[in-house]
Amino acid sequence: MPTWRLPDTAVAPLHKKARAERWEVPVATFALALERSARKAFATPPETRELERYAASLHLEDLALTCACADGHEGAWEHFVREHRPVLYRAADAIDPTGASRELADALYGELFGLVDRGGQRRSLFEYFHGRSSVSTWLRAVLAQRHVDRTRSSRRFEPLPADDASELAKPATQHQAHNTRYIELMREAVTAAVGRLAPKDRLRLGCYYSQELTLAQIGSALGEHEATVSRNLARARREIRSDVERQLRDQKHMSSSQIDECFAVVVDDVGSLDVADLLGSAAGDHALAAGQDRQRKDTAGKRSKERPEGASA
Amino acid sequence: VPERDRDQSIDQWLGHVLSKNARTAAQGVCLDGETIAAWTAGSLRADEAAAVERHVADCDQCQALMAAFVRTTPVAVPATESAWQRWRLGWIVPLATAATAAGIWIALPQRTPAPVSTDQALQTAARESQSVPAAPAAPPVAVEQFSRSSPRLPEAAPAPTMSEARKRADENDFAALSDRRVPAASAPLERAEQARAAAEAAGAGDAANRPAQQFAARLSIAPVEIVAPGGSARWRIINGQSVEWSTSADQRWTPATIDSSSLLSTGMAPSMSVCWIVGRGGAVYLTTDGMRFGRLPFPEVVDLVSVTATDDRTATVASADGRSWVTADRGRSWTLRTAN
Repeated sequence: MPTWRLPDTAVAPLHKKARAERWEVPVATFALALERSARKAFATPPETRELERYAASLHLEDLALTCACADGHEGAWEHFVREHRPVLYRAADAIDPTGASRELADALYGELFGLVDRGGQRRSLFEYFHGRSSVSTWLRAVLAQRHVDRTRSSRRFEPLPADDASELAKPATQHQAHNTRYIELMREAVTAAVGRLAPKDRLRLGCYYSQELTLAQIGSALGEHEATVSRNLARARREIRSDVERQLRDQKHMSSSQIDECFAVVVDDVGSLDVADLLGSAAGDHALAAGQDRQRKDTAGKRSKERPEGASA
Repeated sequence: VPERDRDQSIDQWLGHVLSKNARTAAQGVCLDGETIAAWTAGSLRADEAAAVERHVADCDQCQALMAAFVRTTPVAVPATESAWQRWRLGWIVPLATAATAAGIWIALPQRTPAPVSTDQALQTAARESQSVPAAPAAPPVAVEQFSRSSPRLPEAAPAPTMSEARKRADENDFAALSDRRVPAASAPLERAEQARAAAEAAGAGDAANRPAQQFAARLSIAPVEIVAPGGSARWRIINGQSVEWSTSADQRWTPATIDSSSLLSTGMAPSMSVCWIVGRGGAVYLTTDGMRFGRLPFPEVVDLVSVTATDDRTATVASADGRSWVTADRGRSWTLRTAN
């Protein structure tokens, strides 16, 4: 019957391969770490052969090191601090060049060493390292997670952005009413077209337009060359455009000139896509406030960074 | 509406629909750090990776986590190279090594210098740096070596050994990045010349003279310094990522504001408040107040390795593959310059 635990005969060579004796990690402790890792990776216990294959594919030396650190082995800690603290600090500086993330990195050390839980047991963050990446990659991911959590919690205290859609219901003039309708149609069509793309295409678009990653960064995250990212972004955008044109023509029964107007309502104002800008001041100051962040992004970031193939300069 | 304008319209709509404030309806459990590390390391099974991809595609929170993680990742050397490129590089390295060795042998046929310590080498270089005349007012010198003007060179980090660098790269460590951030193709001729001259001065011809070689190696990873005409202002690129500036009035290095996601290679300052800086991925930055750099649009994603500028509007940039572009309107439009 499948189980999470590897047979002892399979653990021993992995223990040796991990050079776990360097840090005096007992075989039983190492076997437990392997079991935790398998529980994370599989929804149900796999066959023994698959479990062995999985365990052999792990970053075993790093797993042994983290086992030793979690147990408070002094030599392992020294090694860990010497090898990985610079990585952590550089990652912190890369996330926030002002140095604000350094305190997050320092706080991580406390968690890595271990916090005493309610039962008086010391629990180390290392228990959540499962060897599926190198320990330095894992550290950077954990730091990124802390950074995002902190940013998110600080935003809770900021006023929520106004709902652009509700503001659209307040046109002041006939011209603005005209624009409002076109904006609604375009928003609807673009959203539907994006939803019809493959998940990977949506992911690339989100990384590029929302997260403002560069082509190279997107490529490194998705394991693609930046030229491939560029091509795929350009293709996705072409697909969205034809999808939008088709929706306006076939579903909304718009004429060619009306479709032109739909596209032009945005092109008229190439500076930003803020609803307040498009509809005039009558559209409300709330929408302007909601768009400030986006406008800053549009003007300072996205417009100036490298563009996917075929993108208009 | 012209085709191009429709594309532009879609571009703006995507920025809007996919903005950070957009509400998304992702299904499934959000990712934790361990999973995203495993995903980007390619360690997940195909079904796991597909599930993660589906979730992240629609979850702005997980996208934000992914983006923060990616920003901590060293810039990777392009993963794929054509066979032609490999063939070309394979020949260039031994050829360049042979040419350099022949040049040194011809220039120094009888020279047998005594071993020189690192301190002596640095002192020699410092003396030489004092004797280097100041940059002429016009035309300005595009790039000067850090060691020419700064007495802080001895504090520069020592160059890592190859095995160390490889080990660090394997670990995705940023330390290796500092080496890659000064791509060989982007090193201006002046820097290479100076490094060679310093190595010669310190007795680099002697194979046993390791301190001198280390000194030469240090020069090759030193910051790039950009000097305005008359030395009225200076900028320096640190590790290809950040920029500092200093004016002749206060003589202090102050961090300049530059939102750089690309590696910066070199720059030029046509006046004391205007500086152009270029880098990887078509990165072109300009400051007109000396302090704040803004990125200018550029039509192609190429590695830019040189820039010459006459003012804050007109500049010529060149890419690693030998092409050059000219702008006369502060980067609003670029014209590809033909070979002739």
